[in-house]
Amino acid sequence: MVSVYIPVQNSEEEVRVSLELLPRDASDILDILKAEQAPLDLWLVIAVLKTVSVLQFFDSRFREYFKQGKIEQFRQILEEGSSPEIDEYYADVKYERIAILNALGAYYSYLGKVETKQREKDDHFILATQYYNKASRIDMHEPSTWIGKGQLLLAKGDLDQASAAFKIVLDDNRDDNRDNVPALLGQACVLFNRGRYSDSLELYKRALQVHPNCPASVRLGIGLCRYKMGQFEKARQAFKRALQIQKMLRLLWPLESWICKQMKAADETWKGMEKMQKAFEIYPYCAMALNYLANHFFFTGQHFLVEQLTETALAVSSLGLMKSHSYYNLARSYHSKGDYEKAGMYYMASVKECNKPHDFVLPYFGLGQVQLKWGDFRSSLSNFEKVLEVYPENCETLKVIGHIYVQLSQTEKALEVLRKATKIDPRDAQAFLELGELLIQSDAGAALDAFRTARGLLKKNGGEVPIELLNNIGVLHFERENLRLAGLAEQTFREALGDGVWLSFLDGKVHSPPVDSDASSRQYNDLQFFRRLEEEGTAVDLPWDKVTTLFNHARLLEQLHDNEKASILYKLILFKYPDYIDAYLRLAAIAKARNNTQLSIELIGDALKVNDRCPNALSMLGTLELKSDDWLKAKDTFRAAREATDGKDSYATLALGNWNYYAALRSEKRGPKLEATHLEKAKELYTKVLVQHPSNFYAANGAAVVLAEKGQFDVSKDIFTQVQEAASGNIFVQMPDVWINVAHVYFAQGHFALAYQNCLRKFYYNTDTQVLLYLARTHYEAEQWQDCKKTLLRAIHLAPSNYTLRFDAGVAMQKFSMFTLQKTKKTADEFCICSVTEENTIDFECLAFDALYVPVRSTVAELKNAVRVFSQLSTASSLHYHGFDEKKIETHVGYCKHLLDAAKVHHEAAEREEQQNRQRLELARQVSLAEEARRKAEEQRKLQLEKRKQEDLLKQVRQQEEHFKRIKEQWRTTEPASKRKERSQMEDEDGRGEKRRRKGGKRRKRDKKSRYEMDETEGDMMDGEMEDDDAYVNNEDDGNRMNDQEDDKADNNAQVLAAAGLEDSDAEDDAGAPSSNINRRRRAWSESDDDEPSVRQLEASPTRENLAEFPGSDGEA
Amino acid sequence: MKLAGLKSKENAHEESIWAATWVPATESRPALLLTGSLDETVRLWRSDELDLQGTNTGHCLGVVSVAAHPSGVIAASASLDSFVRVFDVDTNATISTLEAPPSEVWQMQFDPKGTILAVAGGGSLSVKLWDTATWKLVATLSVPRPEGSNKPADRSGSSKFVLSVAWSPDGKRLACGSMDGTISIFDVARAKFLHHLEGHFMPVRSLAYSPVDPRVLFTASDDTHIHIYDAEGKSMIGAMSGHASWVLSLDVSPDGAAVASGSSDRTVRLWDLNMRAAVQTMSNHTDQVWAVAFRPPGGTGVRAGRLASVSDDKSISLYDYS
Repeated sequence: MVSVYIPVQNSEEEVRVSLELLPRDASDILDILKAEQAPLDLWLVIAVLKTVSVLQFFDSRFREYFKQGKIEQFRQILEEGSSPEIDEYYADVKYERIAILNALGAYYSYLGKVETKQREKDDHFILATQYYNKASRIDMHEPSTWIGKGQLLLAKGDLDQASAAFKIVLDDNRDDNRDNVPALLGQACVLFNRGRYSDSLELYKRALQVHPNCPASVRLGIGLCRYKMGQFEKARQAFKRALQIQKMLRLLWPLESWICKQMKAADETWKGMEKMQKAFEIYPYCAMALNYLANHFFFTGQHFLVEQLTETALAVSSLGLMKSHSYYNLARSYHSKGDYEKAGMYYMASVKECNKPHDFVLPYFGLGQVQLKWGDFRSSLSNFEKVLEVYPENCETLKVIGHIYVQLSQTEKALEVLRKATKIDPRDAQAFLELGELLIQSDAGAALDAFRTARGLLKKNGGEVPIELLNNIGVLHFERENLRLAGLAEQTFREALGDGVWLSFLDGKVHSPPVDSDASSRQYNDLQFFRRLEEEGTAVDLPWDKVTTLFNHARLLEQLHDNEKASILYKLILFKYPDYIDAYLRLAAIAKARNNTQLSIELIGDALKVNDRCPNALSMLGTLELKSDDWLKAKDTFRAAREATDGKDSYATLALGNWNYYAALRSEKRGPKLEATHLEKAKELYTKVLVQHPSNFYAANGAAVVLAEKGQFDVSKDIFTQVQEAASGNIFVQMPDVWINVAHVYFAQGHFALAYQNCLRKFYYNTDTQVLLYLARTHYEAEQWQDCKKTLLRAIHLAPSNYTLRFDAGVAMQKFSMFTLQKTKKTADEFCICSVTEENTIDFECLAFDALYVPVRSTVAELKNAVRVFSQLSTASSLHYHGFDEKKIETHVGYCKHLLDAAKVHHEAAEREEQQNRQRLELARQVSLAEEARRKAEEQRKLQLEKRKQEDLLKQVRQQEEHFKRIKEQWRTTEPASKRKERSQMEDEDGRGEKRRRKGGKRRKRDKKSRYEMDETEGDMMDGEMEDDDAYVNNEDDGNRMNDQEDDKADNNAQVLAAAGLEDSDAEDDAGAPSSNINRRRRAWSESDDDEPSVRQLEASPTRENLAEFPGSDGEA
Repeated sequence: MKLAGLKSKENAHEESIWAATWVPATESRPALLLTGSLDETVRLWRSDELDLQGTNTGHCLGVVSVAAHPSGVIAASASLDSFVRVFDVDTNATISTLEAPPSEVWQMQFDPKGTILAVAGGGSLSVKLWDTATWKLVATLSVPRPEGSNKPADRSGSSKFVLSVAWSPDGKRLACGSMDGTISIFDVARAKFLHHLEGHFMPVRSLAYSPVDPRVLFTASDDTHIHIYDAEGKSMIGAMSGHASWVLSLDVSPDGAAVASGSSDRTVRLWDLNMRAAVQTMSNHTDQVWAVAFRPPGGTGVRAGRLASVSDDKSISLYDYS
C-alpha cells in the first residue's frame, strides 16, 4: 500500500494519507496541507508524486486520479499550489513552484493532446503554454520547463521547435544536462517522428544507460524503433520488458499483437488478438486499438464489427494518419463486400487524410484496385505507381501495373513489368500465369515456359492447378510443338479434365454404338446413346468449366487423326450443351473431310438453328454447297455470312471472291465479257480483304491468281513467292495452293521447275492426282515421255475411275512411240555408217542391232498399249458411265479408231524398218566377214566361213522363231499385223539367201533347203514386196499426214472436251506448234487453276475454326 | 500383340511397288512373298531374308494387283492394261491370260477353296468370277446402280466403280468396295446381290473378312478410317481412326485379333480389335504404303507370324508379328 506522509507542523508526527484511499474530496487534503504548512514539494507529491519523467507522470501518477475520476481534485490541488498566495508564501522556493507550474503545463498539454475538439484542444494548449511561460519566468534555465515545452510542442506536432527546446536542455552544459533523460527521450521522440529511427534508438539507448531503472516508456521507445526498423524479435523483447516494468496495456498490447501478426505466427496472432481485446476492455476509445481490432475482424470476416469499430475510431481520433487507417479499414470492408462505390469513397478519404504515400500506402493500393474495377485505368495506374514508388519491388503492385498496361494495350511495358515481377519473386505462380497469358500472342514458346513454371509452382505449393491453366498449357503444347509432343498436350488436357465419363471414351472402354448401315447418315442423332449410358447407370456429367478443355482435347484428337474419339467428345458436349455451335461445326468438318456432304449439311443446319447468323456456320455451308455444285445457293450463303459480320469477316468476302473467280472460268460458254466482269469482281473482293487485313495470305493469293489470269505473270509470281515465304514461316497455315501457283507461273513462263513435285510431297502425301497431272504435263513438255507415262500411271492408280487420265496416258504413249520412231530412224542410219566404216566390228554391230531393235520393239509395245487404252476407253464410254455425252463419245471413238489405224501403220513401219536395218547390217557383216576371211588360208577360210554361216543361220532362225512366238503370244489380238511381220521376216530371209547365192555357189544347197521351206509364199512375195514398198512410202507419208490430222483432231477434241469442262490435260497438242503454245499454256494454267483453289482454299475453313476456337479458350482462362 | 521389324529391302523393284501377297507354302517350299510394281514386273521373295526368287515380266503398264491360290501352286497378277496373267509359281509358266473387256482389273482374290478367282472390274461396276479349272468366266456380279440416279455420277469418279474384293472365310459371301465408299455384299452361290454397307463416302481400296468370324468385315477407305461391319446384319460395329491420310490397304492377322493397315501417310499401323485402337505405328517407309499382308499359317514348321508391307518408296519391309 503506497501512502504519503504529511508532516504535522512543528511536530514529528505525520499525517498518513493512503494513495488508494485518497479522500473523495480533494479539499480535505488541501486543508491538511494548508493547515500544516507542508513543504511545497509535498504538494507536488500528492499531486504528482514527483517522478523522473513527465511521461511517467502521464502514465502512472496522473492516471491515479484520472482513473479515479479525480482530475478536478488534482487540478484543484495544483492550481491552489500555483496560486499567487503560494507564490508569495513560498517565494523563495523556486524549484518547487516551477515544478508545480510545469505539472500544470503538462496536465494541460496532455488534455490538449487527448482532446478531440479542435477549439478546446487549442485552449488547453494555450493554458499549457501559459504555465510553462510562467515557469520560465521564475527560472529561464530550468531544464524541466524546457522539456515540458518540448513535450507541448511535440504534442502540437511542431517537431522543429520541439527539437530546439530539447536541444537547449541537452546543450546546456551547466549541470549534467547532457544526459537529461526526459530531454533525451523527447529528442528521441522527435527523431522517431521524423523517421530517423536508428538515431532515435541511439538516444533511447543513451537514456537507458544513464538511467537503467528508467520507466517502461524508454523500452517502449526502443521497441517502437526496433519495430520500425523491422527488427521484430528485438522489438518484442523490448515491449515485453516494458510490460514487465509497467502494465502499459493500452499501448503495448496492440503493438505487440501487431508484431505477432507481422511475424506471421498463427497462434501468436491469436494471442495478440487476446491482448488487443484486453486493451480494448481497458480503454475502449483508443483509436489505434480500435483500428487494429477492426483489422483483425476484417481478416476474420466480421465486417459488421469492422465498420462499428472503425467508425468509433474515426469519432475518437483526429490524427490524420489514424483516421486514414480507419477510413482504410472501412474501405477495405466495403471493398471485400463488393460495394465498390463506398469502398472507393473511403479509400479516397483515406488517401486524403494521409497526403504522403510513404506514410500509409495501402489506401493507394485499394483505390487503385477500385479504379481498376471501374475501368479508370489511368488514375488506377497512377495510384499503383505511387505504391510502387514506396515499394519498388512489390510483386502484387507490379502484377497489377502489368495488367493495366495490358488493358491499355501497351504490351511491351506490361511484359517488362511482369518479367520484373517474376524475377523478383520466382515463386509467384500468379505472376507467371499472367506473363504466360501475355506471351501467348507474341511468343508461344515463352508463354508455355511461363505456364509450366506456374503449374510447377502451384503443384509444389499443393494448390489446385486451375483447369484454365492446364487448358492453356495443353493448347500451347498442341499448337507449338507441332504435334511432335502431342502426348504432352494430351496428358495436360487429361489432367485438366480430371475424372469423368469422357475417360471411358478416351480409353476406348466405351465405343460408339453400332450403327445400322442404312441409318448411318443420321448418326449424329445418336445422342440416345448417351441417354442409354445414363440409363445403364453411368453418370454422363460435364461440368461447365470443363467444356472448353474437353473441346480442345477433342480438337487435339482430331489433329492426331483420331476422329472417332473426337466425334464422341463433341457429341458428349452437344448432349449436355446443345448450343455449343463449335462442336456442331467440328462434327460437320469431320463429316466434310470424309466426303459425307449430306451429314455435314445437316449438322450445319443444326448449328444454324442455334444461331442463324453464325458466320462460321454460314461460311462452311457455303463451301459445302459449292462442293455439291449448288452455285447460286452458295453465293447467297456467302453473302449472308458476310452480312452477318458486317463485312468484317474476311473469309466470307474471300469466299465470294473465289466464287466469282470460279464463275469466270466455269461458265460453259466462256463469254469473254462475263469472264472479265467476274474476274474484275473477284479482284475487287480480294483487294477489299487485303485493305482490311494487309497480311491475309489467301486474299493475296487470290489477287495474284487473277493477275496471272490476265497474263501479268511477273507481278503474280512476285506475290506468290512472297506469300509462299510468309506461309512457310507459319506453322498454323499451310498453303499448298501457293506452291502450286508458283509452279504454274514458272510453267507458264516455260521453266519446268520441279515445284510440283515439292508440293506433292510436302502437302498431299502424294495423293493428289491433280498435282500428278501437272507433273505429268511438265514431263510431257520436257519430252520425258517415260516419266510422263509413269506419272500418269501413278495418277490412274490413285484415281482409277478418272478416265481422262487413261486418255492422257494413251496420248503420252503414242507420242513416245512417234518420237522414238523418228529418232531410231536417224540413229539407225548413223549406226550403219559407223558399222561400214569401221572394220572388224561384229560385236559393235550386234550392239547396234540391239540398239535398233529394242527401241522399235518397245515402241511397238507402247503403241499397242496406247491402242489398247484407247479401245478400252471407247468401249468404256459406250457404257455411259463417265458422264461424257453421246456426241463426245462418238468423236472420242472416232479418234481412237484413227489412232488405232495410225498405230498399225506405225507398227508396220517399225517392223519394216527393223527388217531393213537388219538386212543392211547383215550385208555389212558379210562384207567384213569376207574381208577377214580373205586374209586366211583357203581351206580354213572355207571351213570357218561355213561354220560361222551355219551358226549365224541357226541363230537367226532361233531368234526369229522366238520372236515369232513372243509376238504371237502378245499380240494375238492384232493378227494381220503379225502376219505381215511374219512375211517380211521371210522376205528378209529370202533376200539374204539371194545375196549369198551371188557370193558363192557352194552354199547353195543349204540355202536351197531353207528356201524350200519358204517356197510356198515366195511367189507372192516378190510382187507383194514391191507393192509393200510403195505402200510403205505412201503409208509413211500417210502416216505422217494422218498423224498431223489426228493431232489436229485431238486438238479439236481437246477443245471440245475442255469446253465441256472436262479436265483434259490437253496433252494431245502438237508440241511443234509454237503459235498455239501461249494459248495452250494459258489454258493449262487456267485449267489447272480452276480446280485448285476451289478445293484448297475452302479447305482452309477448319483451320480457321481452330484459330477461332483457341483464342476463345484462352480468353476464358 | 506387336510388330518388330525384321528386314527391309530397299529398291526391291525399280519403281513403286503397288501390290503384295503371300503365296502359301507347298510341300516342297515355304511361303513366298509375291510383289507387283509399276516397273511392270512381278517378283517372288523368300522370307525372312527377302532374297529374290524370281522376276516375272510380260506385263504392260503397272502391276496393280497380285493374288495367290490357296494351294500355293498358282498365282495371278494383273496390270493397268486390264490383263490378268495366271502362272505357275515355281516355273513361271503362263497358265492362262484373262481379260473381260471392257472391264478393267483391280483387286483380285482366290476363294478359300481355290475354285474361283474374283476380280474387281472397275468401271464395269461388277466383279468377274473366273473358274480356276477351265479359266472361263463363270459369273459377273453387278453392283446395282443407286436408285433414281439416272444421271451419270459426277466426273470426279465417285461412282460405284469397283476397286476391291474380299471373300468371306466360308466362301459363301463376296464383298466389294467401290469409289463412292459403298460396300456391296453378294451371295456367291446364287450370284445375287444382297445389300450395301454404308458409312464410307470415299474410295474403299481394301477390305477383308475376319478369318475367325465370317460375319465381320473390315474396310479401309480414303476417308482415313477403318470400319468394322457386321456384313450380314448390315450394321457398322465400329470405326477406327488414326491414319493421317488415305488408308490404302489392310489385312487381318491369322488369329483374327489384329488388323494391319498401310496408308498414304507412309505408316503401317497395327490395330488391336479389342481396344479398337492403334497399338503400334511403323514409320519406316518413306512413301505411301500400298499393301500389307500377313503370312498365312502353315508350312514346314513355320509358326512365327509375319507381316509384309510394300510402298511407293520401292522397298519391302518384313515384320515379326507376335
